[in-house]
Amino acid sequence: MLVLALVFLLGPFIVVFVAGFSGDDTLRFPPQQFSLRWLIQVFTVEAFQRSFVTSIVVALGSTLLALALGVPVAYALSRFRLPGAEAVRLLLTLPLIVPGIIVGLALLNHGVLALNLPVTLSLLIGHTTLLIPYAVRVVSSSLANLRVDIDDAAVTLGATRLQAFFKVVLPNIRGGVAAAFVLAFITSFNQVPVSLFLTGPGVSTLPIEMMAYMETSYDPSIAALSTLLVVFTIVLVAGTEKLLGISKYL
Amino acid sequence: MHRRLAWLLLAPALLFIALLFMAPVLALLAGAFRIDGAWALSPLITFFDEPLHREVYWRTLRIAGLATLTSALVCYPAALAMVRVPPPWRGLLTGLVILPLMVSPIARTYSWIVLLGRNGFFNALLQGLGLSDEPLKLLFTEGAVFVGLLQLMMPLMLLSLVSALENLPADVLAAAATLGANRWQAFAKVVLPLTQEGLIVGGTLVFTGCVTAYITPALLGGPQVLMLETLLYQKVNVMSDPASASVIAVLLLVTTLMVNQLLKRVSK
Repeated sequence: MLVLALVFLLGPFIVVFVAGFSGDDTLRFPPQQFSLRWLIQVFTVEAFQRSFVTSIVVALGSTLLALALGVPVAYALSRFRLPGAEAVRLLLTLPLIVPGIIVGLALLNHGVLALNLPVTLSLLIGHTTLLIPYAVRVVSSSLANLRVDIDDAAVTLGATRLQAFFKVVLPNIRGGVAAAFVLAFITSFNQVPVSLFLTGPGVSTLPIEMMAYMETSYDPSIAALSTLLVVFTIVLVAGTEKLLGISKYL
Repeated sequence: MHRRLAWLLLAPALLFIALLFMAPVLALLAGAFRIDGAWALSPLITFFDEPLHREVYWRTLRIAGLATLTSALVCYPAALAMVRVPPPWRGLLTGLVILPLMVSPIARTYSWIVLLGRNGFFNALLQGLGLSDEPLKLLFTEGAVFVGLLQLMMPLMLLSLVSALENLPADVLAAAATLGANRWQAFAKVVLPLTQEGLIVGGTLVFTGCVTAYITPALLGGPQVLMLETLLYQKVNVMSDPASASVIAVLLLVTTLMVNQLLKRVSK
């Protein structure tokens, strides 16, 4: 049963991977010929190029913003005993519970349309709200493993709270922050529901662009793109795991 | 002094979420309760007058429920097998199960398009074996959406069950056997009750994941097999029916919250 489950789970990856190397004009499986042609071709499609850049920019921006907002929260929650802590935690969990499509639509109606916010900014906001809970959770678990008295000791030795944070706490939670970064980045990059209503002909993210392409074309481009994305994800996760050992924080 | 500092650290994030997330979302949800400028509950009720709406809601719950049940049936044996795997291989296996969760749902769903399409693998196989003369319509059916969602959500159930089974004391099964239970009895009367929390956690994750899915129903179901979120998309972009869109948003949220509450109750 385990083997069957694994085949079911991972088989499709292999299918997409193989299909990405297809040399055919249309999508068929198994491909009748193999080539790198579609893998190369997708780099030249303007829509993919533009949306890839947008995806990277939004992912990077929202991840950094989410960390900037979330790390202080994780620190405050772990170091201070606060009366409203439960309510704070609940508020922070909300973005995970509310379906992304609702967030996207809400930001469209009340942000872009009502306040005339630029679309990219709305995308950034939408993604950031989604990522803050991830940032807080992962960094919190990393902070939980760090002894509380370390920063107190630093303060006793003459550091201000700020110095204690940057010189003592931060270097020790480096792994957790890196894990949060990778997780948030990937989540933002792959995000579809929130981006769905917030993208349009001018501004689009790569996943949205891929879905739009699928509606009109039946060539293996998307398979090739998917292959590249799968490789990209594996390299990113495996790379950071090897370098920083992030899996214990996830 | 300390308290002030703590709240100062919390403020930016909390303000961000309150103003840029909660406010717009609440405004959207409020739209479901207004008719002609006045507050009313009727839009929620009249929403179900439309046969399409009823069909979509029921279909969403049905497929989600079926996927949850199937994933439980498949993942329990798989999880039981997985916990018996010795350490070096276990890490690799766990990594293999987590990996799909990190890859874009588009890539994961796309493979089903490749397999189930008219020129796809299964049709080629069926025709090659002489079982059918012309390509069957496998894509854009409920079955396709079901399979796609099952594959998408299975790692969640599997990981939940493995986690629950890991916390099972090792000698419990041995004790059951000593007292005369066969494998089925041991499972039903010992393992199942002790790991039910893992089952509920996995179940809620799979169920809410299926109810709030967009990509898979969009790609594998299309406009013919609408689920709640694809219907929502249609309402906004195709049918210009923002009132219904708000009602669907409320339905999605209520369903998610109810399932989450169930999860909290059980976890206590």
